[in-house]
Amino acid sequence: MGLQAHTESAAPKAASGLILMLFIKPISRQTAVVAVLRNNHLTRIRRSTTARWRPATPSGQVVAPPIDAGSKLVSVEARRWEGDRHGLGARVGMRLAYRAVQLAAVLVTAATLLFVLVRVSSSPAALLAGAGASQAQIRAARLGYGLDGPILNQYVTFMVRGLRLDFGWSPVHQALALELVRQRLPATLVLSACVLALTGLVAVSLGVWLGLRAGRPEHGWAFRLLLTGQSLPALAVGLVLFQVFGLTPASAAGSPLRFSLSVLTLTWWLVPRVARFTAGTVAAAAHQSWVLTARAMGATSRELLWSHVLPNSLLVALALAGVQVAFLLSSTVVVEWLFGWPGLGELLAGSLRTGDFPVVEATVFMIAIVVFAVYAAVDLALAAVDPRVRKAPSPAAV
Amino acid sequence: MTGPMLAQEMGVSRRLMPMPAIPAPGLLIGGAIGLALAAMLGLVGAGLAHEHIASAQRLVPPGTLDHPLGTDQLGRDVLARTLEGFRWSLAVVVPATAIAALVGTTLGLAAAANGGWTRTILESCAETAAGFPFFILAAPIIALAGRGYGPLLVALAILSSAPFALAVFESTWGGRYPIPVTPAFHAVRTALPVVSAFILADLVVAEACLSFLGVGASASAPSWGNMLADAQQTVAAAPWLLYVPATALLLTVVSANWFGEGLGQIWTPTVGSPQETWRFREDPGSSGPIR
Repeated sequence: MGLQAHTESAAPKAASGLILMLFIKPISRQTAVVAVLRNNHLTRIRRSTTARWRPATPSGQVVAPPIDAGSKLVSVEARRWEGDRHGLGARVGMRLAYRAVQLAAVLVTAATLLFVLVRVSSSPAALLAGAGASQAQIRAARLGYGLDGPILNQYVTFMVRGLRLDFGWSPVHQALALELVRQRLPATLVLSACVLALTGLVAVSLGVWLGLRAGRPEHGWAFRLLLTGQSLPALAVGLVLFQVFGLTPASAAGSPLRFSLSVLTLTWWLVPRVARFTAGTVAAAAHQSWVLTARAMGATSRELLWSHVLPNSLLVALALAGVQVAFLLSSTVVVEWLFGWPGLGELLAGSLRTGDFPVVEATVFMIAIVVFAVYAAVDLALAAVDPRVRKAPSPAAV
Repeated sequence: MTGPMLAQEMGVSRRLMPMPAIPAPGLLIGGAIGLALAAMLGLVGAGLAHEHIASAQRLVPPGTLDHPLGTDQLGRDVLARTLEGFRWSLAVVVPATAIAALVGTTLGLAAAANGGWTRTILESCAETAAGFPFFILAAPIIALAGRGYGPLLVALAILSSAPFALAVFESTWGGRYPIPVTPAFHAVRTALPVVSAFILADLVVAEACLSFLGVGASASAPSWGNMLADAQQTVAAAPWLLYVPATALLLTVVSANWFGEGLGQIWTPTVGSPQETWRFREDPGSSGPIR
């Protein structure tokens, strides 16, 4: 089988990206070393066989691929990992500890902000007791938070109660705030899981298809379309779906139609973002010198895509996806409120409107915990699949 | 509502990914036209009577001469209110972006210019803040501080300064040392307008979402979020209440994103350009571009 034939015939199918999510097979270090060593001798082969991988202008003129871009891109996410000289367990532990510190910093900042705003309000005790609290409850809150004592003691009491996840009683819901949040969390997780599954399916296929066509005319149009799709706010998309499917605010909350529309809106929000940077990482990986070498050594285009381009690009895409998933939660607040899905976001929005402070505080804490749990999960996933993290020599071996 | 995407794209993808091989000025031109249109519509709307309540004229459908785009459930003219929304939205978002750019640039430069713990702490803080969805924090802050222009402006400005700090830090810190003054100035000068355009788009959306949830603009303010919240109540009977402000929102957000993307494509230092070369020269740990 001639190289040229494969170069021409192998248009990788978009769907192939899906199955790859299950079988990530990272490039071996040996292959990479061979690639670097042989790079200097490949100029002639490069000219003859790799035109397909170069970005071409619409007029067909071939421009030089930015060879270095990908190697640096791939290394950016691994920079933190490569920096220290500890074993795998220690490195993963350090990374998780960093996430814990981040979470603690966010929680302390949020609690301090809330404390200051509560203190400057006209009646802190009524606020802390929640909207619609009785006189007895307000008095209990004043005693519980020590609101008659010096300000420093009040701050310490407030923070300690936050630390113990003791947010108090919600008069609106007639329940403990923490218990309410715990009840609502599964609904949000189910919604997010559906959105993530759908996004993984659509966005990765789209991104791989787009990334392998970098520089072609259809790439330009698809890219602009994605950019525009990304710009459409979830609020507007959700409201249009709301109108088109004939929903009214009074119609049954939590119905399958409302749930599907919530999933659709959030997927619309997430897909362009994930697809765009998947396309970017795939395009960058396709320009690598080791792809060139593998091709020169006779790898078919299918092998190139599955064994070399995709594993390396999807690792970076995974790292970038964590941030987007964390930010999905802010759109979830709006979409859950819009479609009346009984999750954390709907609870937060409703409590903000009724001034139910205990529930607001509990929800903000819970969302912060979920956000940094997502980041920690992405770190663990990277540690599990990235050979630079997994197989880096320990200090003893060196 | 997509803060760190910007920082991520500025820090990773925009500089390093060979996404569009040819910079397309179409995006930049389209975005600039859209933004200019939004600003002009805001100026036009300033003269119209958007607060005039006429109880006899409730929910008039579009097409009449008096109310070309209909009226809402209080009899207010939808066109005038939507145009006033441009003014309101830009009046909140433009100063907020400017403050965020100032604060963020200062912090980012401070992180890049210092070494040791100062840099580590500032970088980690910026990373943490930019990685947390600021909307979750902005909503309770405004709800506690009271709805209205002031709290909205301050909350949005403070919370969106982290992506600026991260982008400025990423573009002025060459891996191991801060880059020299002239390239640093150049990097900040090219990074700021791009990030500003993206943050502007994000803040327009955030303002609309906050107002939609009832914790942003005061109830009578001509915010698109307020209009959309009202529209949801009567959406079956009066869909124009939804589509008119939604179109205005889309125009602003899409234009700002196109503008930022177009500018980013044109100003991105390509591999091998002078801006990119000093980056490698200053960083002894990097082998530099393969030639």
